[in-house]
Amino acid sequence: MKDFKYNLDKLFYPDSIAVVGTNKVVGTVPHDILRNILDADFNGVVYPVSPKERFVAGIKAYRYVTDIPDPVDLAILVFPSSVIHLALEQCGQIGIKAVIIISAGFKEVGGEGLEREKRVKEIADKFGMSIIGPNCLGVINTDARSKINASFARRMPEEGSIGFLSQSGALCTAVLDYAYAKHIGFSKFISFGNKADVTEIDLLYYLKDDPKTKVILMYLEEVTDGPGLMKAAQAVIKAGKPVLILKSGRTSEGASAAASHTGSMAGSDEVCDAAFRQARIIRCQDIEEMFNIAIAFAYQPIPKSKKIAIITNAGGPGVLTTDAAIHDGLELAKFSEETTEILKKNLPKTANIKNPVDVIGDARADRYNVALSAAFKDPDVDGVFVILTPQSMTEIDLIAREVAKVSSHYRKPVYTSFMGEADVAQGIDVLQRNKIPHYTLPESMCRAFATVYQFGVEQKEQPKQVKTFKDVDDKVVADIISEVKSSGKNYLTEDLSDKLLKAYGLPIVQAEVASSPEEAVKIAESIGYPVVMKVVSDQIIHKSEAGGVLLKINSADDVKNGFEKILKNANTYDPNAQVKGILVEQMVPDGEEVILGLKRDNSFGPVIMFGLGGIYVEVFKDVSFRVAPLSMYDAEHMIAETKSATILQGIRGKKPGDMEKLLECILRLSQLAVNHPSIKELDINPLIVREKGLGAFVADARIMI
Amino acid sequence: MEKSEVQEKVKKVVANVLKLDPEEVVDDANFIFDLGADSMQSLELVAAFEEEFDIEMDEDKALAIQTVSDAVEFIASYL
Repeated sequence: MKDFKYNLDKLFYPDSIAVVGTNKVVGTVPHDILRNILDADFNGVVYPVSPKERFVAGIKAYRYVTDIPDPVDLAILVFPSSVIHLALEQCGQIGIKAVIIISAGFKEVGGEGLEREKRVKEIADKFGMSIIGPNCLGVINTDARSKINASFARRMPEEGSIGFLSQSGALCTAVLDYAYAKHIGFSKFISFGNKADVTEIDLLYYLKDDPKTKVILMYLEEVTDGPGLMKAAQAVIKAGKPVLILKSGRTSEGASAAASHTGSMAGSDEVCDAAFRQARIIRCQDIEEMFNIAIAFAYQPIPKSKKIAIITNAGGPGVLTTDAAIHDGLELAKFSEETTEILKKNLPKTANIKNPVDVIGDARADRYNVALSAAFKDPDVDGVFVILTPQSMTEIDLIAREVAKVSSHYRKPVYTSFMGEADVAQGIDVLQRNKIPHYTLPESMCRAFATVYQFGVEQKEQPKQVKTFKDVDDKVVADIISEVKSSGKNYLTEDLSDKLLKAYGLPIVQAEVASSPEEAVKIAESIGYPVVMKVVSDQIIHKSEAGGVLLKINSADDVKNGFEKILKNANTYDPNAQVKGILVEQMVPDGEEVILGLKRDNSFGPVIMFGLGGIYVEVFKDVSFRVAPLSMYDAEHMIAETKSATILQGIRGKKPGDMEKLLECILRLSQLAVNHPSIKELDINPLIVREKGLGAFVADARIMI
Repeated sequence: MEKSEVQEKVKKVVANVLKLDPEEVVDDANFIFDLGADSMQSLELVAAFEEEFDIEMDEDKALAIQTVSDAVEFIASYL
């Protein structure tokens, strides 16, 4: 059995490393990886393994890894993919538990490569090894205890508290270069490649417990285990470490030919977005945004409130910053009398001493010092933004040092934006070396602060509980599905849909199928007018489109006429459609129409949709998604995200809707989704939500299995 | 040509191209893993076999050959 923690400890903190398949040819991956390990001053023993060379880089080389006389903790395999299995088998034989396979030519090339990767996984499992890769850049650990650069990146990054995981090796090199220029350091830097064995989920759990890592960044191309990723991220976040993910592949794959509204609207990226939000993962749009937020988490404390002070030497940028701050939900702190007095006494008469504080264009370091000190000391201020524009007398360097010096005395976060590029470069360098977050634009600064603040707020919220309804009948649901499957169909007619939903406690309007106009009248009279009439046919899924729905039927004559009309419309729409009957249904007198849906996502499993309902749902797309199972928190927030929420709260004299009943319906649907994986797609459109206390009713449903 | 003769010539060519002691070129030796052939040398080996045996081999299939004994079998099939 694999001891995951032990293995990854050997990966990141080995006492000895074997580079298997290395050579003397400078500029090749097998050589440069060995060179990088040596140049980074690895705190242990290195063993080159080469079939031909008897020494590499001045170190004795062994022909096979099995020839090494001492224990080896970590093996880095750089042979061509065709022989990796031979090297890996030998590593297993001598008890190596941690392996990095750099070589390409596996799953990513398909065909034989896929077979090679399966073989790698089999050998790993046989010997209880943990494998990073194949097809990766390698692994870097900046911890002084270890200092490994087991990669073919150009350089070893600075030590820091950011953990970085990437599915793309090439992107890693760009990120390292980007970070190096900005003095951004990493704790651990891992290119996990094809994730044949160790996945991003395993690495998240490992970094959760890594004392050197404060914040985790990830670049991901595919989500293979959505629920697993959400669970891991939630565990990491609960441990106080934010998780930021840049997930590529935003372009819609095009909803597959889906019969339901939910199916056609729940594209994989919308679902991914919702799932990340649900797990409190911070999804980033690009690398720059990711690092803008990461440095805020890594360098500065989480703000206690969203009240900030802005200090600027220019009015325009001060206003820009204020606009951006308000846009992102921040507030300008209100200075105390004491703060105002200090500023008034020490700044020129032309300076603006209210927030934002404008120390004006000719300000040197001393004026910034006064303004900074006063702002930090003010009891209403929980964050300080420092803006600088390079006037001819601006002491850019000195001001940067002043920011570093003053802020070090306080536990309040400071963020900076020295606007420009060339003249401010040296000042920015000072800020970056002193771990003061710097942003090219005030807008990025505000967004980063708001994100960090929000993280802090969410950390204080109660953990989410998933409710289980006991008054449901899983057997009835299973029997209905089985009955439909055995008849060779994949679509439930309305009467069966109603029966299924009723078994799960969803409120269904009174309804019955009539096979003649006279029977329809009898049913209508027992339900009570007005009624709705709908065609029942396996072949007619979108009933409104087919002219198969009539509303507000108020008399026996209307029922009879309606019956004939629906039959005629159905025949026109699809002459081959088999009409089983006409459903006569209670008409809910009033209420707001919403849609509830369910779909199975390839990565995340069952997904619930909520939104503004009716026939134009695919036009307005005012919908939100969550991955089942949902907690009450999830259900409340998915409603709040939509515009429908405002309507349901009651507008233009209308009373608020029955939110309690709506939430219950969402949670029951979530439980149904989890317990019955045979239900492939489901739409309840509309669910009519009446005013508070009067309930909600399923007026139409469509279920595909 | 007898198989033993093919085998002897193959081993001679391998030792020559990879600059190895002929005794190291055993039957079950893997060209990459045991004898240290890189991608350039793999191509050189194919060319050298073709010249030594006066044959023209399917290059893709030739490059997929992993061991000395597999090479002997493959070349023998052309003779």
